Amino acid sequence: MNSTDIITIPQRDKGTKKWKFSELLAEPEVRRRWEEVRKFFFLRESTYDMTNLCNIRCDGCYYYEGEKQFAQGNEDPWAWRSLMKEEKARGITYVVLAGAEPSMVSQLLEVCYEEMPLGCIATNGFKFIPESVGYKIHISVWGNDETSLRVRRAKNLLSKQIDNYRGDPRAVFVYTFTRENIDEVYEVMNTIAANDCKITFNVFSSPVGYTGPLRHNKDSLDRTREVMLDILSRYTGNVLFSPYSVVAHTHQYGLHSLYGCSYPRRNPSTDIGLGRSFRQYRADLSWDRDAACCVPDTDCEECRHYAAGSAVVTARLYRHVTDPDTFKSWLDYVDTYLAVWVMGYEKGNNLCHGMIAPP
Amino acid sequence: MLMSMNKKALIFRIAEIIILELKLEEITPETFDPDLDLVDELGVDSMDLATVVLVLQDEYGITIDEDDYPKLRNIRMIAEYIEQKQAA
Repeated sequence: MNSTDIITIPQRDKGTKKWKFSELLAEPEVRRRWEEVRKFFFLRESTYDMTNLCNIRCDGCYYYEGEKQFAQGNEDPWAWRSLMKEEKARGITYVVLAGAEPSMVSQLLEVCYEEMPLGCIATNGFKFIPESVGYKIHISVWGNDETSLRVRRAKNLLSKQIDNYRGDPRAVFVYTFTRENIDEVYEVMNTIAANDCKITFNVFSSPVGYTGPLRHNKDSLDRTREVMLDILSRYTGNVLFSPYSVVAHTHQYGLHSLYGCSYPRRNPSTDIGLGRSFRQYRADLSWDRDAACCVPDTDCEECRHYAAGSAVVTARLYRHVTDPDTFKSWLDYVDTYLAVWVMGYEKGNNLCHGMIAPP
Repeated sequence: MLMSMNKKALIFRIAEIIILELKLEEITPETFDPDLDLVDELGVDSMDLATVVLVLQDEYGITIDEDDYPKLRNIRMIAEYIEQKQAA
């Protein structure tokens, strides 16, 4: 990426000094954070569509795009147990249980948890997932109740989600900024904060071919950035995000253009990393390397998805060791990612408060 | 062909760095097979390798490009890579 291409974040003068890695770690607080986050470098994820059932229908839903929605769901617990054992044997240490709506098959979630203790479930939060499933639970929020009724055909959804997950250490609410709901987040935040819940941010990333009103443009990305930063400063105790997360997910270029997506769909290399180990299983337990990424059927050029960033930005350690602020920004991003995705990990204070351009 | 003392020392030091940085407990620099495949046989992943690379860059004053990671499959290949970079 040429620095002159970055319009919305001016490049700062980083000087000509070539920093050694040991110099970047010299500050005790930075060293501490580095040691904290590197404990989790062993995480290797794959994702799994659990069923083709869902209890609501949302505009722009990733699951009901492309071929995967037609996979015949496999609800045999033994098949899932066997798959988890095989996954563990090939080095997978973290599972993301998603589409269409995992809470519809909670018996399968139990089986996965018994075999693979680290993971996360992406849910609409309408139906409670038993506490015996000790994964992180990401509850999708697409606006206030009026918007949820219009876009997701679900009545009083936020109230229902909070009733289900208030005080639950597994729960992280995920607010997806679309072009239409940017300022609604203030109303949602008041409710989230009043109930002492945790929230992180996602940016709507259009599925291939989607041209509807949720799709972002430059103005909506700029406004999303302003609002994210404002919320981040007002609700520090409730928001799991960092200034660099804001930069990475609201940049005029998507994650693939900025960082080079490392998922197999965009990465032909099988040498090391996600290109080697990541699989995206459909509900019938089949998988296709050519289509494998964390949010299949997303338009890659538009992808600013929080799940994608968690892997793609995190994997780019090497590019972020250029100077102290850039490295601190990366540490903040990884610290955020771990707090969102790993049970028991507590987010620290952000180390860099400036807006750092992606290297 | 006999390995030079310099190469032996380099391999030993790389083994020390990998053991230290990846917190490996069941292996020592003396027992670390320089031809062991770090990815396939030791289970090193991209973040581990990036960490080791950063320390090697500091120690040997070289730059290791991300695109060169596939060339760093085992300790012997890393040692040869470092030698080439230092000679360039």
